[in-house]
Amino acid sequence: MGGVNYVTRRRAALQPEEPDEESWEELVPPPPSCPLAGTAAGSWGGREAPGAMLGKGAGGSGAKPAKPSFVSYVSPEEIHIKEPIEKELNLHLLPGELLLCEANTVLKCVQEDGSNRGTYGKLICTNFKIAFLGDESASDDNEPEFKNMIIGENDITLHCIDHIYGVYDEKKKSLSGQLKKYPEKLIIYCKDLRVFHFCLRYTKEEEVKRIVSGIVHHSQTPKLLKRLFLFSYATAAPTNTDIQNQTVMFDAIKDWREELERTKGNMKYKVLSANEAYKVSEKLPLYFVVPMSLSEESILQYQGRGIPIWCWSCHNGASLLKMSAFPKEQEDSTSQMHKIFLDGVYKTINKPPYEVLKTDDLSSSLPSLQDIQAAYTRFKQLFLIDNSTDFWDTDVKWFSLLESTNWLEIVRRCLKKAIEVVEYLEGQNTNILLVEENASDLCCVISSLVQVMMDSHYRTKFGFQSLIQKEWVMGGHCFLDRCNHLRQNDKEEAPVFLLFLDCVWQLVQQYPPAFEFTETYLTVLSDSLYIPIFSTFFFNSQHQKDANMPGDGHNAQSSHFRFLTVWDWSVQFEPKAQVLLNNPLYVEKPKLDKSQRKTTRFKHQRQLSLPLTQTKSSPKRGFFREETDHFIKNILGKRISKLINSSDELHNNFTEFYDSWHCKPIDFHGLLLPHIEGPGIKVWAQRYLRWIPEAQLLGGGTVATATKILDMIEEVQSLQKKMDEKHSRTVPQGREALPMLRNSARLSSLFPFALLQRHSLKPVLPTSTWKDLEDEDDLAKRDDEFVDLSEVI
Amino acid sequence: MLSGSKTSFKIQQHPPGPALRGPKSSDMNSKRNRNGQAFPCIPGEHVLEEAARVRKIVRSRDGEGSILGTLYCTNLRVAFVPEPAPGDTVGAPRCSTCLHSEHDVALPCIGRLVAVNSFTKAKVLTANSTLKFIPEELVLYCRDFRVLRFRFRDSGLEPRACQVTLAIVQAQESSNASAGTWYDSGAIRNLENAWLSTEESLSPPTLLFERPCDWEKELRRLGAAGWRVSPVNERFDMATSLPKYLWVPSRLLDNELKRAFGHFNARRIPRLCWHHPGGSDLLRAAGFHADSDPEKEDVRSVEALMLAGHAQCVIVETAADLPSPAEIQLSYLKLRALCLPDSSVADEKWLSALEGTRWLEHVRACVRKASEVAALLAERSRSIVLQESDDRDLNCLLASLVQVLSDPHARTQSGFQSLLQKEWVVAGHPFLQRLNLLRDNDREESPVFLLFLDCVWQLLQQFPASFEFTETYLVALHDSSYIPFFSTFLFNCQWERDRRNQHRASNQIYAPVNGWRELPPLEILQKGGRLAKERGGPYLPTIWDWALRYTTQQRAQFRNPAYARGSGSTTVPNGKSAPLGGDKLEGALSGNRAVYLFAKGALSPQTHLFPWKNGSLSKKGWWRAQSSESLSEQDRSLRSKPSGCPQQPEGLLLPASAGPLIRLWRRCYLRGSQEVQRGLFASTLAELAEELDRLRKQLGD
Repeated sequence: MGGVNYVTRRRAALQPEEPDEESWEELVPPPPSCPLAGTAAGSWGGREAPGAMLGKGAGGSGAKPAKPSFVSYVSPEEIHIKEPIEKELNLHLLPGELLLCEANTVLKCVQEDGSNRGTYGKLICTNFKIAFLGDESASDDNEPEFKNMIIGENDITLHCIDHIYGVYDEKKKSLSGQLKKYPEKLIIYCKDLRVFHFCLRYTKEEEVKRIVSGIVHHSQTPKLLKRLFLFSYATAAPTNTDIQNQTVMFDAIKDWREELERTKGNMKYKVLSANEAYKVSEKLPLYFVVPMSLSEESILQYQGRGIPIWCWSCHNGASLLKMSAFPKEQEDSTSQMHKIFLDGVYKTINKPPYEVLKTDDLSSSLPSLQDIQAAYTRFKQLFLIDNSTDFWDTDVKWFSLLESTNWLEIVRRCLKKAIEVVEYLEGQNTNILLVEENASDLCCVISSLVQVMMDSHYRTKFGFQSLIQKEWVMGGHCFLDRCNHLRQNDKEEAPVFLLFLDCVWQLVQQYPPAFEFTETYLTVLSDSLYIPIFSTFFFNSQHQKDANMPGDGHNAQSSHFRFLTVWDWSVQFEPKAQVLLNNPLYVEKPKLDKSQRKTTRFKHQRQLSLPLTQTKSSPKRGFFREETDHFIKNILGKRISKLINSSDELHNNFTEFYDSWHCKPIDFHGLLLPHIEGPGIKVWAQRYLRWIPEAQLLGGGTVATATKILDMIEEVQSLQKKMDEKHSRTVPQGREALPMLRNSARLSSLFPFALLQRHSLKPVLPTSTWKDLEDEDDLAKRDDEFVDLSEVI
Repeated sequence: MLSGSKTSFKIQQHPPGPALRGPKSSDMNSKRNRNGQAFPCIPGEHVLEEAARVRKIVRSRDGEGSILGTLYCTNLRVAFVPEPAPGDTVGAPRCSTCLHSEHDVALPCIGRLVAVNSFTKAKVLTANSTLKFIPEELVLYCRDFRVLRFRFRDSGLEPRACQVTLAIVQAQESSNASAGTWYDSGAIRNLENAWLSTEESLSPPTLLFERPCDWEKELRRLGAAGWRVSPVNERFDMATSLPKYLWVPSRLLDNELKRAFGHFNARRIPRLCWHHPGGSDLLRAAGFHADSDPEKEDVRSVEALMLAGHAQCVIVETAADLPSPAEIQLSYLKLRALCLPDSSVADEKWLSALEGTRWLEHVRACVRKASEVAALLAERSRSIVLQESDDRDLNCLLASLVQVLSDPHARTQSGFQSLLQKEWVVAGHPFLQRLNLLRDNDREESPVFLLFLDCVWQLLQQFPASFEFTETYLVALHDSSYIPFFSTFLFNCQWERDRRNQHRASNQIYAPVNGWRELPPLEILQKGGRLAKERGGPYLPTIWDWALRYTTQQRAQFRNPAYARGSGSTTVPNGKSAPLGGDKLEGALSGNRAVYLFAKGALSPQTHLFPWKNGSLSKKGWWRAQSSESLSEQDRSLRSKPSGCPQQPEGLLLPASAGPLIRLWRRCYLRGSQEVQRGLFASTLAELAEELDRLRKQLGD
């Protein structure tokens, strides 16, 4: 019984603190708008008070207090001493952020071994985040060096919460809606795959009620768009008018013109400003690019449906286009009208200089959004680890579990589809038109993947950001619905953007020198999806954003109101941390002399040795008519494109193209095709394993070699400089060094995320090694727990 | 005249000259091909058939291409000699090794031969098959996962294609039949002698552990004060499978020691593998012999050996969590089938097929167990005895893996090679049986060594800066195990190695039909031991003479540019303060000792050292002999590692063995298939290093 007695003693020791806690509350009163008070009081009676439970245990009458699930490693004295520090550790609130509720003496558990070891602190909930203010970060000397300035290591934005579970008598239940009973433990699964365990057993009942219902309410209930933190932040934050940003935002006509010019698409395509004030469609951006011959009337006729919209032009003139299909119509007459319309559109564009146009209905050739969502739900489950035992148990079945989620297969199919499109553009010189219901989900994935593979500009950081602006943000991807930021409709949720990032990651890990950014960049970008201070990922379309600007609609320039864009990385990271987003081994594009440029096309070196298909395209003209039919049938939703796809000819073209590319030397600035065979597709380990202590390697991982690389780069640069001085040439700009890599002796493989795991060393005997002995061990501990345990921390 | 420098040794380009051939030059059976070039036979080798203007299909960083050259079939290998490119200056060294690591395949390494003609199906060739068409292409599936493709000219109309193909089939068959062929080529030693002189100075030497001085030297490096080198088995009269020299506790005299042998299977007694600077000792031993009875016999020497002066002894049941050699072989066969380019597994089923091979499961089990043992070693001063029933397979793997984890020296190239010599080669891993190079008994085949290399590769990819060598080196090591030109992997134990080598030297006095394994022990003792001692070393080269098969450029890729020497390369890890030798003994003698059994990831206390204390060898009694009264105290120190400080003993690697972190060694297993590993992190780092060198040189000029 020693353990239980100890617990009561501990509680007793905490008593004197309570006035302090009270005064804390006085300092920051809950905002009047807090809707919790009523619910909390209403359900009060339903819950057994924790004090009562403890009392029972201490009295010795309980039949099964035998398994004390609480073993404290913090002596009461320590808590007492730490208290003032905790107070100073004041909560950092962003502009517009309001404290909603809080609870003291919450134990944040170290989840690794299922025991209740952890740190005490205060759990708070604001209109932006849930935060745990522990005492340990203050006592820690080394500040995390890769620190997100918006989201601390114990912060969870409300949008980042995936699921909340409560533990009642060792049973885990999903929490939502009105609660009748309050759990003794709160488990929060985050969308960035962190898992938090908060033990509420030592928290005052009142506070438990407040915090639990507060968290559940603010994170789980449907929200109105206007209530997004984004707006409060943008209103309250000081406007920083002069933001240096090289990312092309594609919100001005000039951006599109320059893009057309850059890709040499300006001979055949034009920028339209017909959608200013969203006259054509609310789904389309203000400016978009269409074939030159397309008439204005046809564009207006069906609100932009059935219109090929330009994405990108290949060096050989072939272009990538996308189109929102007409919805399936029951009425023959409507469907007939659509057919005639499409016929007309096709005729206008199907003449020189456009030549062959191939359509691909993505909704039939790729998995549905529901499939993607289901696969991802299964997939992420593999990494949301409650305790280590679960994790170890999955080891043996790891690969088949992974396979059964189907996520990697979906990644593979997207990459494969992108390669097919590349083959048409590059190998067959054919224009390709991607068709999807709104042209804003899989169209975005495939078209941006194709561009990343074909255009090395999009493999630079700013290029990649511009691409996301062009295809996703302006392309009308419904970030709000797909991420389910408002929790209004679970059915719309699908991790389409994450799927794209995962595909890009596959490319990055296969060809690291071809990308200016690192996988850390991609990971951090994926986390930014859930930070509601950036507008980038919080609207369904440009129209929605403009319409929700306060004041006079889209005339927002006049007011000081301004949304931040995620591309301004300085909001989240210090310059020294931003260095980690850049790939030190990126092979920069060689600057060619003009004389050279004439003779060889360095950029697309690879396909020069491919069989020239330009002449081959003439026999294809023979079945133009058929193509047209397919085209129309596809668009009318009859889904027969499978027939085309399964044709042998197509398959052969694909494999020949794929194989012959892989036989050629790699040009990191030319076309890049990923390996898509079974072993080629991997798990994005950094994103998915970064919070799992079992995956941590001290002194290991790629970061172990990073220091060496940086040293060598520095030395190469200094030597180059010396050489240049000898030959009196211009000195190239040196890269920024990474001081944090230098001075820390041993980093873990999970760096830069690892530092958050610093209290979780126990990598060696994590298995069942000591499992068998645990019971004896507990017995022993109960006797002399005081001495022993206080030493541990 | 044998001291010809590297550059003068260009067999391909020059007609055989006396300077190169040495005293045995008369053995050189070189045959000139039509271009007037001689095929560089090694002594004892002769060309059976050849075909000119064959294209070898290669894939490299620069994409797919082909090399034009001549394909030879000799009595030892299939060799391909590229024609010098027209641009080459005549006589420039294209290849400066006498065995070519990329183009050559030793006959026993050929797994499957396939002839391809566009009009017929691909045909797998065996000794009995007849060839009804002229092959256009010949595909060699090698047992080391390589796939070599040779395309004959005139697409299917070259008669030589037929001849050379059939010659290969027959040569392979006859090489299987006559195991002796390989030893006849022993004259390779003469070449080797010429080589060694140029290479030796570069890197610290590999300790072969064939002579007592190597054992002494290593013992000094470890600083194992309470131990000595015992020559008790010098003549292999104590145990034929053990090395000649053993590390045993200093206090134990040889005649006391002799009493211990009988208590262990194959007389393989406990002996020291490694001494932790913190005081712990790692030992390995075979299982207790079923017939020995501690009730009747004196077991004090056994106890002294196992406790090694420590108060606490942990016996690690090696086989308990690890796969058996048979299981390893089964997985290996599945893995090989999966990784061959013609594997029919669909891409979306690849992962479960990979899981189905269970190979990675075995890798995980080894890595996990090794890290557990390494943690036990580092945690407090105790003796840890790895016990496997015959002490020749998984004990080799576990003992060496624990050292790779614990000792930074074992992560340097010379340290690693010495480790392999100590724990595998002289310790008597039955390489000949396990690799089954001579194909005489398929049932004993099991790639335990490959499994070990895979484990090391896992560590290498988890800790890329902690190893002096690279993945390329490990692949080369793996490849070399399939080449029967080297003594290292050609024998089952040191006694055989010594015997065979001396046997060759004394002009074939005795040539048993069924090989030399049937030799009666008496003969061995009388002849083998003594003669081997006189000769003082093996005659076949060891694989550590990398220059024999790898060019300087290739060997440059063995060195890891990211290796951080700072992480303690020469110093052994600093554990807790080392207790004095006297103290340990005190504890052991006072009877205040504790014996634990470590199996299935758990420590359980034992009352006795021996499982058969009360009569028969009872597994049950061994398992859970006792309630764990004093255990919690032992246990605590390991479990409650102070949280909050991520320090681990310097030099100790703690690998992760969780599902997603154990990966497939693609460079090794998938190199035959379409996919070639490209754009590796390491390779770009290597390029950086190259650039650095170039710049330094330029500036130096």
